[in-house]
Amino acid sequence: MKINFLIFFSIGVIVSALSISPSLAQQKGLLIYGLQLEELEFRRGDEGEELFAWNGDAFVGTDEVKLRWLGEGEYDNTTSKFEGLENRLVLQWPISPFFDMKAGFRVDTPNGPDRSYSVLGLSGLAPQWFEIDADFFVSEKGDTSARLDAEYELLITNRLILTPSAEINVAFSGDHEIGVGSGISDIEAGMRLSYDLIDRRLSPYFGVVYERKFGQTEDLAKAEGEDFEGWRAVVGTKFMF
Amino acid sequence: MMNTKKFRRHSCIVAVFYLVMMPFTSIADVYNLTVDKVIIDTGKFKKQGIGYNGASPGPVLRMEEGENVTINVTNNLDEMTSIHWHGLILPYQQDGVPTISYDGIKPGETFTYKFPIVQSGTYWFHSHSGFQEPDGAYGSIVIKSKKREPFRYDRDYVVQLTDKHPHSGARIMRNLKTMPDYYNRQQQTITDFISDSETNGLGTTINDRMAWGDMRMMPADIEDVQGFTPLINGKGPNQNWTGLFKPGERIRLRFINSSAMTYFDIRIPGLKMTVVSADGNNVRPVKVDEFRIAVAETFDVIVQPKDDKAYTIFAESMGRSAFGRGTLAPRDGMVAEVPQLKKSPLLTMADMGMDHSNMKGMDHSNMKGMDHSKMKGMDHSKMKGMDHSKMKSQVDPFYAPGSGLTPNAGKDKKFLSYQDLKAQKQLYKHRAPTREIELRLTGNMERYIWSINGKKYEDEEEIRLQYGERVRFKFVNETMMSHPMHLHGMWSILDTGAGKWNPIKHTVSVAPGTTLYTETEVDAPGQWAFHCHLSYHAASGMFRKIVVVGGPKSALLNSITSKEPKV
Amino acid sequence: MNILSKITAIAIASATITLGSSQAWSAGSHDGGHGAKKNIGIPGKASEAMQTIEIKMLDNYYEPESISVKQGETVRFIIKNDGEFVHEFNIGTAAMHTAHQEEMMTMFEHGVLEADKINHDMMKMDMGNGKTMEHNDPNSILLEPGKSGEIVWKFNKAGKIEFACNIPGHYDAGMMGKIKFKS
Repeated sequence: MKINFLIFFSIGVIVSALSISPSLAQQKGLLIYGLQLEELEFRRGDEGEELFAWNGDAFVGTDEVKLRWLGEGEYDNTTSKFEGLENRLVLQWPISPFFDMKAGFRVDTPNGPDRSYSVLGLSGLAPQWFEIDADFFVSEKGDTSARLDAEYELLITNRLILTPSAEINVAFSGDHEIGVGSGISDIEAGMRLSYDLIDRRLSPYFGVVYERKFGQTEDLAKAEGEDFEGWRAVVGTKFMF
Repeated sequence: MMNTKKFRRHSCIVAVFYLVMMPFTSIADVYNLTVDKVIIDTGKFKKQGIGYNGASPGPVLRMEEGENVTINVTNNLDEMTSIHWHGLILPYQQDGVPTISYDGIKPGETFTYKFPIVQSGTYWFHSHSGFQEPDGAYGSIVIKSKKREPFRYDRDYVVQLTDKHPHSGARIMRNLKTMPDYYNRQQQTITDFISDSETNGLGTTINDRMAWGDMRMMPADIEDVQGFTPLINGKGPNQNWTGLFKPGERIRLRFINSSAMTYFDIRIPGLKMTVVSADGNNVRPVKVDEFRIAVAETFDVIVQPKDDKAYTIFAESMGRSAFGRGTLAPRDGMVAEVPQLKKSPLLTMADMGMDHSNMKGMDHSNMKGMDHSKMKGMDHSKMKGMDHSKMKSQVDPFYAPGSGLTPNAGKDKKFLSYQDLKAQKQLYKHRAPTREIELRLTGNMERYIWSINGKKYEDEEEIRLQYGERVRFKFVNETMMSHPMHLHGMWSILDTGAGKWNPIKHTVSVAPGTTLYTETEVDAPGQWAFHCHLSYHAASGMFRKIVVVGGPKSALLNSITSKEPKV
Repeated sequence: MNILSKITAIAIASATITLGSSQAWSAGSHDGGHGAKKNIGIPGKASEAMQTIEIKMLDNYYEPESISVKQGETVRFIIKNDGEFVHEFNIGTAAMHTAHQEEMMTMFEHGVLEADKINHDMMKMDMGNGKTMEHNDPNSILLEPGKSGEIVWKFNKAGKIEFACNIPGHYDAGMMGKIKFKS
């Protein structure tokens, strides 16, 4: 893990060093920063589970390179355990007019064994307005996996927005210790209806989420006596600073 | 040795002499400005901002052509500030742009500007530091002409517009960088999709949405920043700035657009306006019903209300998201009907930025029409068709054919076009340019990066010009937005095909998908800023430094006189 | 010819000669022919002139900006263009001036008139409806910068008349003057 992380991180450092080269700079580039929470919600499962989930990111940087933290997690109120707790720290820089490349590392510390990964990925806007995040992970154990995140905003009005989203995780080699089998491991699909209450700063929403594990991952879950699929009603708010 | 009586008599005489002579000595050429934190009240919201002499907008500085001015500027803020005199011809060290003209004015410091006034007309001034200008740091300059002006009026008013937003300039910049459509509440919705499908058919609508979706661009992307309250002389539509007049009087209205980002379409229902000046330079008077004023431009118009009633000055933002409103009335308290906002326009494919890698060798009618040096020969035949009909043509050659932004004043009404502007007086002798410089106006809306020739200010070399040359600037707008390009220190002669009568401006707006030419006689030594005057475009990279190489050592004095055309 | 016609002919002839002696061009007559204007007066005889008024044309105004005449008086106007642009001196009502402004706009659009010169050869151009763009009414005179001309006019009826320049934009810029009738 450490070697991969170091490789990716050094690439990022070199890129940022190049971009701030003093020779041509006649004025400093704009420093930009922001924090947003795409999801901050309560989830009620179809079997009575009560969970609290979040998905957000913060960044600081310039047009040439940004340092970005992404975090997501799910906390089970009834069992007082973190079902998922993931933090990523990446360097992000543009590679095309609409896409950025990301490189960094990810640390998972949910209930159960911890894992760290190095991350290499893409983030951007695909034609027809699909927001795409694609990541490739290499865990400290040497297991490789990938994730594809897609989101689309449908404007009902200029403030009332319907957002379907989907996340697919694929594991190229299983990591049974954390319950991940090789092949498509799981998907999460969501449909949220939000209203921009205060600018884009506060947008409460409600919606529905469907989670499902597949293949080996599904089998592993069944063996543990855990759910492999479920519907959740969600209510929460988006934040943007 | 004088005895007391004689002394007293002499001093009396001297005192009386001085008192009599006082009005004739130019006391008025020393101006004092303080830069202060102020509260701005738009009638819709209050916000802390920056102003001059305790207010925003700042004062009207009244100067006289031919005088030498001294302006003391005291910075009462706790950050650096600067003041740029927009449109004034002066030595470059007096131009007020930090890192280009000088270092700026430190907190607590008083900086003294000293320069001769070599022109007359309507101009303005504003901070060139950070986002102080959108935060309220702007004022106006009215310069009295030495000679009698080629138009008559009985009274005049400054009508200064701005787009005051509840968010500070720095915050707006950050929000745009994080989410470029943060402020756009005019985007196409499902309701628009349904009504478009009903009007044009489902297939056509789907194709339309997909064509734009492919480019990841929005036809509704006209105003980057919405949610502002337009102010006229610091007053919001509800506060209703009012200028009084006596029926029958000719009133000169000095319109100045001091907005950060907004173009306004101006009309006074019931009154025709005669445009007599643009960017401080007199133009041959042209009567219009409506005109569009780009950010940083000025237009002087003469109106002659004959009836004893009030008239509304209506300033509609180009994207129709808001309007500014003032009144001309014979007495205080009189108001006139306020029109409704028109429907928001949509950009069309004609406004799409040209992708030059595909354009090579292709002669698109879109681009050809914008090339005015080629259009000259066509003028006559175009005019012939218009002659005997009462209907004025609504086609404006400074917009792409089929553009969604082409202004339209309505049936039988005239909307001012750059085509109508002809210099009343030449400042320079008409000659062929010595070279041409192409400046492609470029940008990436998604990243909110705006640039020239694909490069941001900090990533590109300065532009070097030779003193004495006549440069022809070719602006190719490859973006979907209009950009008001402003060259400091030297005039931009806009090529409208009128040869020696081309109008002389300091700010020229280049519409999406068009090419526009200006020529500049390089006669101001030193270094000058050159940038898009949309505040958040300039800050994100659409900016260049111009260095004028060569020129006389006595560069402190100006090389233009307002009389002789230059050889 | 009877005596009345002879006198009229001489009057017209002398008016034409007076006008023709300088390089002056008068308004195209689109509303009815020489002298037949509503209540603004008729061409006068130079010999009957009771006062001579010198009018200077500048950019864009006249000196003087108002004149006083008596009803029935014949006035000899000596007009000099001291400006840098082409100007007109035209006696008429405000309504006539508005109509004439449109005609002059046409002349501009056809290239007959430019800001600082008159293309005399183009004036003979047929506009396609049998009319030309010659500027030759007796109540007005069109002068290039530096040129001079004369109009002799008899103000036989008091009324609301003004003298004005109908070059596009000039009237709106204020290039007009009042003709006051003294009692």
